Amino acid sequence: MSFPNPATSVKLVLLGEAAVGKSSLVLRFVSNDFQENKEPTIGAAFLTQKCTIGERTIKYEIWDTAGQERFASLAPMYYRNAQAAIVVYDITKPASFIKARHWVKELHEQASKDITIALVGNKYDLVEDDTEEESLRKVSVEEGKGLAEEEGLLFFETSAKTSYNVNDVFIGIGSKIPEAASAGPNQIHQTNNDGRIDLTSDPNNRPRAAGDCAC
Amino acid sequence: MGKKKQEMSQVYNNSNNEFIFGENGGKGKHLSSFLKNLSLTGTSSTSSVHSANTDNIHEINSNIYGTLGYSSSKVSSNQSNSGPPPKRSVSYKDLDDDWDADIDVSTDSVVRRSPDNRNLSRVTKVESNTSSRSSFNLQPSPMLDSLYPDLTLPATNSSVNLNSQKPTNEESLDVEDYRTTMEINRLNQISSRNNKFRNILISDSIVNLQDLRKLAWNGIPSELRALTWQILLGYLPTNRARQASTLKRKRQEYLEGLNASTIDFEDTAPSNSSSLYHQIKIDVRRTNQSIKLYGYPETQQSLRKLLYLWAVRHPASGYVQGINDLCTPFFQIFLLNYIWQLQQRVLSILEADTYWCLSRLLENITDNYIHEQPGIIRQVGDLRNLISKIDLELLNHLDHEGVEFLQFSFRWMNCLLMRELSISLIVRMWDTYLSETPLGFNNFHVYVCAAFLIKFSNDLKEKDFQEILLFLQNPPTGHWKEKDIELMLSEAFIWQSLYKNASAHLR
Repeated sequence: MSFPNPATSVKLVLLGEAAVGKSSLVLRFVSNDFQENKEPTIGAAFLTQKCTIGERTIKYEIWDTAGQERFASLAPMYYRNAQAAIVVYDITKPASFIKARHWVKELHEQASKDITIALVGNKYDLVEDDTEEESLRKVSVEEGKGLAEEEGLLFFETSAKTSYNVNDVFIGIGSKIPEAASAGPNQIHQTNNDGRIDLTSDPNNRPRAAGDCAC
Repeated sequence: MGKKKQEMSQVYNNSNNEFIFGENGGKGKHLSSFLKNLSLTGTSSTSSVHSANTDNIHEINSNIYGTLGYSSSKVSSNQSNSGPPPKRSVSYKDLDDDWDADIDVSTDSVVRRSPDNRNLSRVTKVESNTSSRSSFNLQPSPMLDSLYPDLTLPATNSSVNLNSQKPTNEESLDVEDYRTTMEINRLNQISSRNNKFRNILISDSIVNLQDLRKLAWNGIPSELRALTWQILLGYLPTNRARQASTLKRKRQEYLEGLNASTIDFEDTAPSNSSSLYHQIKIDVRRTNQSIKLYGYPETQQSLRKLLYLWAVRHPASGYVQGINDLCTPFFQIFLLNYIWQLQQRVLSILEADTYWCLSRLLENITDNYIHEQPGIIRQVGDLRNLISKIDLELLNHLDHEGVEFLQFSFRWMNCLLMRELSISLIVRMWDTYLSETPLGFNNFHVYVCAAFLIKFSNDLKEKDFQEILLFLQNPPTGHWKEKDIELMLSEAFIWQSLYKNASAHLR
């Protein structure tokens, strides 16, 4: 394109078990900050952040959902129409990895077909200095990668605490988002989009071929 | 979120009984070492005007609750005759008179007051032999019988001096006069209000709940708040003769409930297999992060215990995130009453009272926390309908921007606005909620939420989707005072009386 690229909006949702660090990842990405023992999210929190990838500027509209099972019935409201999802687990908590599997499955079944999903194993700082014999790590890199390859997901291990790999997650997702997909129908009511809304686009029938694999 | 945090760091700062956990003490320090350094500034009663007040409050609490003693034999002997403790004169000159009478120095704790600190503050030193603290909290302790410790003086004493001092400087006479008059008016108001509460709480053998609700709706004096809340919630019976025995029974029941559980509540305990307990543990650690009180291991253990017991006893909903927030006003309001003699074993009383009042509160809003949270979904719908009646323009704007009520008001219902307002304002709000029939946590809350939303109506109408959500997630309430809350409650009250029986808006 010959004219300067305006920021394109991408609706992104975070899912994952309670206390795996969803809000902390977002806080690191949005404010480059970290809070020990951040209060539990209730319902969902909304945040935005711009991110420049090469020529493109992407404006993330982030829904950071609550992790507790009881709030799970709210999740569809947030992943419906989302172009991207980050499914987070805690690499020191095997149960959170099982939960991550469930979320990936639910997204494939319920969310829009061409949603870009990143699988993120958080709390890398806890295992950084571990010796091989005595490690807090309970989910291996291979397990994470395996699931990601199986399901066609991006995969990262991160630490919201040290900021290790956090920006890479969002850059990775941004580069996977096809340009045409970034102005979804849910943007119609919002005044902050790029002004080039394609009203004919349909989440289930995007010009871009579906089935592009992340691996 | 940041703003609210700052606000929240002041736990309780609207009376002379300041305990500002955000400023003093230290996170992670042992609670007892914190208490050693803590100066409790109950003001002195040198002024004859207010010593009467003091005695009165003290009397109320000792009549109702018996006195918090330190020796089991002493306490039980006091309790065995249900009347007021023997040799209790009603005309104390000073709280000290009675305070001394109940100290038993043979136990592991000595509580002393320095008598010379007449004008500013009275220092209470709590010296506790920490090493001798064993597993008291799970033992039925003698303190189960005795309920409330001595209370502090009303928050007005330091200003009373102003009242009694005749201005000596001619030049400043006018200003001084004016100030004095203002002070006297203010004190008279407070005093007459406090007397009304006292009359209800002690004049008859049955506390008149209707009158108490009416009075408490407009706010409760801080020194009578714990007692009043417990009566409003139906935890403490209105029949005064039954109060002591009920509390004893309830606290015993709480301890037995805990004893029956197999959980090791120690923070250092290895993580166990219960996912319920795990969820509670991780949430308690991040409850009210900005307030030091909630950083103490003792506090966290208490919250873990009472939340766990509640959850296993209420399997329909179990523990839901947000309930950890809901127990904190109780915990700290009751703590304010007990802090005089706070020691390890007092925690079990504090816990039990918090547990039972939380249970009463949640009984009324069970639907909010069961599967799919139908109570909240209904309330969010009610809120939307209410806004369509009160401020259609705002509703149209929100609709036009694609903002769904669930996106911003879910948290308002799930945490009763505790994430939006500072704890001191929430406490004032609960005075009113607890005085509503049925308890205002359910129906009345929706009207309060409507008033809350409409406060920002003009701002919101200028904003787009994103700005609205960001704004409502962190509404500018940092500078709010009690009068703002009271205005909001009044607005909610008016709307409730307008729309309560007009079911059309709840279609």
